[in-house]
Amino acid sequence: MLIENIIGAFGEVVQVKIMLLMALGVLSGLVAGAIPGFTITMAVVLTLPFTFGLSTIEGLATMIGVFVGGLSGGLMSGILTGIPGTPSSVATTFDGFPMARKGRPGLALGIGVWSSFMGGIFSAILLMTLAPQLARIGLEFGPWDYFSLVLFALTITASLAGENLTKGLIAGALGLLVATIGEDDINGVARFNFGTDALKQGFAFLPVLVGLFAFSQLMSDVQDSATARKPLMEKGAKAVRVEHLAAIKALAGDWVNLIRSSLIGVFTGILPAAGGSISNILAYDQAKKASKRPQEYGTGCPGGIIASESANNATAGGALITMMALGIPGDVVTAVMLGALLIHDVVPSPSFIGEQPVLAYSIFLAFFLSNFLMLGTQAIALRAFLLVTRIPMYMLAGVILAYCAIGVFALHNVTFDIWTLFWFGMIGYVMRQLGFPLAPMILGVVLGGIAEVNLSRAVAISGDLTLFVTRPWSLFFLIIAIFSIVFPWYQKHRGRKQWTLGFLPALCLALAPPLFMMGGVTRPIVGGLLVAVGAWLLVSRHRQGWKLTAPVEHAARLEET
Amino acid sequence: MSAINRDTAVAVFLLLFCGVFYAASFQIEQTSYGTIGADVWPRLVLGVLFVLSTVYLFQSVRMGPDEAVKQKGFLVRYRNAILCYGLFLVFLLTLDFLGMLLGGVLFVFMALSVLGERTPRQLAIHAGVAVVSVGAMWSIFTFALRVILPEGEVLSIW
Repeated sequence: MLIENIIGAFGEVVQVKIMLLMALGVLSGLVAGAIPGFTITMAVVLTLPFTFGLSTIEGLATMIGVFVGGLSGGLMSGILTGIPGTPSSVATTFDGFPMARKGRPGLALGIGVWSSFMGGIFSAILLMTLAPQLARIGLEFGPWDYFSLVLFALTITASLAGENLTKGLIAGALGLLVATIGEDDINGVARFNFGTDALKQGFAFLPVLVGLFAFSQLMSDVQDSATARKPLMEKGAKAVRVEHLAAIKALAGDWVNLIRSSLIGVFTGILPAAGGSISNILAYDQAKKASKRPQEYGTGCPGGIIASESANNATAGGALITMMALGIPGDVVTAVMLGALLIHDVVPSPSFIGEQPVLAYSIFLAFFLSNFLMLGTQAIALRAFLLVTRIPMYMLAGVILAYCAIGVFALHNVTFDIWTLFWFGMIGYVMRQLGFPLAPMILGVVLGGIAEVNLSRAVAISGDLTLFVTRPWSLFFLIIAIFSIVFPWYQKHRGRKQWTLGFLPALCLALAPPLFMMGGVTRPIVGGLLVAVGAWLLVSRHRQGWKLTAPVEHAARLEET
Repeated sequence: MSAINRDTAVAVFLLLFCGVFYAASFQIEQTSYGTIGADVWPRLVLGVLFVLSTVYLFQSVRMGPDEAVKQKGFLVRYRNAILCYGLFLVFLLTLDFLGMLLGGVLFVFMALSVLGERTPRQLAIHAGVAVVSVGAMWSIFTFALRVILPEGEVLSIW
């Protein structure tokens, strides 16, 4: 079945036009990802209008190309200048930049590129094999479970997105409120239109997104005139020859790190809200802990680059698994990707992979092939990146603002969408200035409709609200939602307050009951394992006298990728 | 020193915002069909937002007042953003008259000239960048993607 689907998708994707579009997408993503201040989200958002005139597969393949390219682009500036192009490449600079300064920039780039490639391929294979399995689990979900899953996605995004949990939650609630404006999906009744006809249809997703992210980001970038007038990167980055063979040897000698980091990346991606900005730090920390020579990390150690770059590219596959199988975006970039799918009349859900296997596997295959294209176009991208960095920020900002206006207009051919861009551009800018994270708001806008429809379905099936806590999956998601709310305090006080020692054991023990309730064989076994781990953690910490240990060096935080 | 801090002002604004939307939720049409009314979910969200805004208000009050921000400092800091939003607003208001091509070129030229230096050489560069970039985008969308962009009254006369 898997092979048949892949062969079917192969015929759809491996065509000259699609491969060229994907290569162009990868190249654009690589350059955009390499420019500090330009996020992958922005690159994907800005590519979207170009795909309106393309077929579904052509458009989606291009977008996936940008996504994969963006994840790999950050390493170029990180290694050559010490400034990560995206938050996904922060940990790459810890060792990549020192290695470049030691006179081996070609090797550092090579290790980064090949690690990105391997991480991407690893996650693409898992995407093809795990997404259908997760979709099968998703078919078990009732509306109660979906509602709780959305709640969890919002709380974890809010808790990871900024320093202030309350602001994150407020941003999420504002996103949900924005999604209620206009005609509701269930009763077809106009809401909050304040007597205007334009608001009866509500806000289109893309102008809201472009306004909140791209417009407001550009305004923040040009806030300071002196900085805006300087070239994008003042630190001179020079073209170097990538040392492919030496890099492959380095990877072969550290394959355990490569696989571990790729796995961390995939599973971070599967988790709603956690993206590449978290996985690269987590993988780096784990690689350092597991290394026989941890003292070498931070001085130009190949293992540091391998961990960070393989993890951040693998995260993309993980995020796509959740999005394709459950219709829930794993992070902000996949929220944009979900918007792109919806624009092309593709609605991911647990039944989607089974009902439209060729299209689903075409998306998987496009992701797989994009990694090869990334490998092939990195040298061209490096030269393009060096050219782009000579342009001052204000010139790019002015041109992109005009492009945003044309792009959002092209969505429905209505001027109201440009007004939406304008208003949400201002809202996004003000929120940035006031310290509100935008990621929860975006997820709120995307998930608001899903939450409402499922709440309505749940109430229609049964008026019994206790089903939200008696159904195992719903209970499971609600428990992790509660723990995700406590997580910021745990992160803040870890290693300083004794209660933090009980956080992980409590999480393990709390998650076990819903797994037992699910029945079958595997899930109760997993539940049993969680109880065992929780108990072992409690006992070992009790034996150590609840002694506090120093927190890790690099705290993971979700940033706009 | 200002009497309240910035967060307190934002929290109060959010509470007022909740109030306005809560009042507007009574304008939502009630239907005889559907299991839950169209007003239930928005009110639930508003309830959550109200509680969170109240928590935010208490948190902000506990933090104490901000240091005073000079008005001049505020204007200098946000000058570029205010000007860009202003130019974008003018672009939008004149879109029906100037059209996307002409309006876009003028917007980019003005934005670049406001944000960048205004020497004759730079102004010429800004004009060139505006014409080439907007011209290229307009051509791609019009001829390659077949999107009918607003033509405007000025170009339609020609």
